[in-house]
Amino acid sequence: MRNPPTRLCGIIALLFALTLAARAQEPAIAIVVHKDAPVDNLSMEELRSIFLADRQFWGDRTRISLLVRAPKSDERTFVLDRIYQMTEAQFRQYWIAKMFRAEIPRGPKIVFSTDMTLDLVVAVPGSISFMRASDVSDDVKVVSIDGKRPSDDGYPLR
Amino acid sequence: MHGERADAARDGITIMTRCNCLFAAALAMTMAPALAAGQSASPDADLPAFHVMGFGDISYISEDGSDEDGFAIGQAVAHISAVLGPSLGVFGEFSATARDSEYSTEVERLIVKYDFSDRYKLSAGRYHTPIGYWNSAFHHGAWLQTTVARPEMARFGSRLMPIHFVGVLLEGNLPSGDLGLNYKVGFGNGRHSNIARAGDAGDVNGDKAWMVQLGSRSRSYQALDVGVGFYSDEIELPGGAPVDEQTFSAYAAWTREDPEVIVEFLRSGHDGAGASGDTTAWYVQFAYRLPERRNAWKPYLRLESIDVDDSDPLLAPFDPDYEAGILGLRWDFNSYAALKGEYRNEEFGADGREHNFRLQLSFVLAAL
Repeated sequence: MRNPPTRLCGIIALLFALTLAARAQEPAIAIVVHKDAPVDNLSMEELRSIFLADRQFWGDRTRISLLVRAPKSDERTFVLDRIYQMTEAQFRQYWIAKMFRAEIPRGPKIVFSTDMTLDLVVAVPGSISFMRASDVSDDVKVVSIDGKRPSDDGYPLR
Repeated sequence: MHGERADAARDGITIMTRCNCLFAAALAMTMAPALAAGQSASPDADLPAFHVMGFGDISYISEDGSDEDGFAIGQAVAHISAVLGPSLGVFGEFSATARDSEYSTEVERLIVKYDFSDRYKLSAGRYHTPIGYWNSAFHHGAWLQTTVARPEMARFGSRLMPIHFVGVLLEGNLPSGDLGLNYKVGFGNGRHSNIARAGDAGDVNGDKAWMVQLGSRSRSYQALDVGVGFYSDEIELPGGAPVDEQTFSAYAAWTREDPEVIVEFLRSGHDGAGASGDTTAWYVQFAYRLPERRNAWKPYLRLESIDVDDSDPLLAPFDPDYEAGILGLRWDFNSYAALKGEYRNEEFGADGREHNFRLQLSFVLAAL
């Protein structure tokens, strides 16, 4: 029969393993781009810069087209929290101000479903968007963030 | 089906803002042709796509010693942007301002811009001069700014700094990694002899104005915007005497709302007509969006100062010395509208101190 400290260590180890397993199953948000976009990896800062439209061109001078899910989708809520670090109201005000300052000719394109996101990323050169990693198809390219793929441990958009 | 969805996305914002065209059309007769085009914005990607936004405000103003306290329609503003090609765009800002017996209309900004890359964006037209922060951050959008009014140093119609500028502007990002450096270099007409106006119809003398601004929007601290700038011009006074103007400006803005901090400084030297003198102006604005259930509320405080040398040949005759302490509260009761109230303790030149109050309902017509 095991003594109490050994049993306690076993329980802690089990809880730790379960926590890791649960974390691994948390849905990751994948950043997807058009197949021809000249990018395979972005740092979080670079990604934020693109999503804020402070950077508007890829390295080959193709204009970046940002596709953002319509309000109330889980993916949009996640991206506003983790990438923009803004509330919905701040997000709206940010883009209105950006257009009003003539820094961009138009705001992000609004998409209403994962299928629509995929269709447009495939169709529009230079496009970038986001979706659950489990929804990604082979028709688009998944960009690594800080060198990590959505399936990797430590992927920042999970 | 695929095509329909693609079209819907491509024109998502355009469709949502079509109704704004009706508002905008009522604002200024001068923009009627453009707005008419906007109302029929085509879903065809090969045709220009128009986007229209509108801003407006209604105020109640109470001023010490004035018997004209009451409601005032502020400015009704329409902003139009059009994508003419993958890299070519047109931006316009038009205003209608209530006067005693009429509305005055103005082409506030009209810019044609070609984006070569993130590093080089070339444009021509009429701008809000990129001096400091406020003048090129909030433009005529009262809803965008936290406070009821602009700082006195950047007030529309102010003689202190050239609010508008007509010419060409090259701007872009500099390769600087996480520092996020950016620049603006401008060249064009200087101020009109009426120094509150730009040289819209041509320069009043042969000496063009030029300016340069260097800023940083750090990738690590996206909310932090800092920059310095220099502006140079030769102004011709109504009597014909030339006055050299050289203005240095610096700013820092932390644009998150918990807190929001904006600091701006300007020093302008004027030399000519047998005299020389300097003008120094600054303001500090602090605001804080309350957390959680009270986050519709945002109290704010601003301190301002303008100090003009008595020997300043350009500005001293207008006695624009100014000091103010402003305490206010903004209530965002709707995603696109805000109510702001502020107490203003102001001292205008030799006129003594005033205790003024302003209440403003401001809104934006836009959709995202």
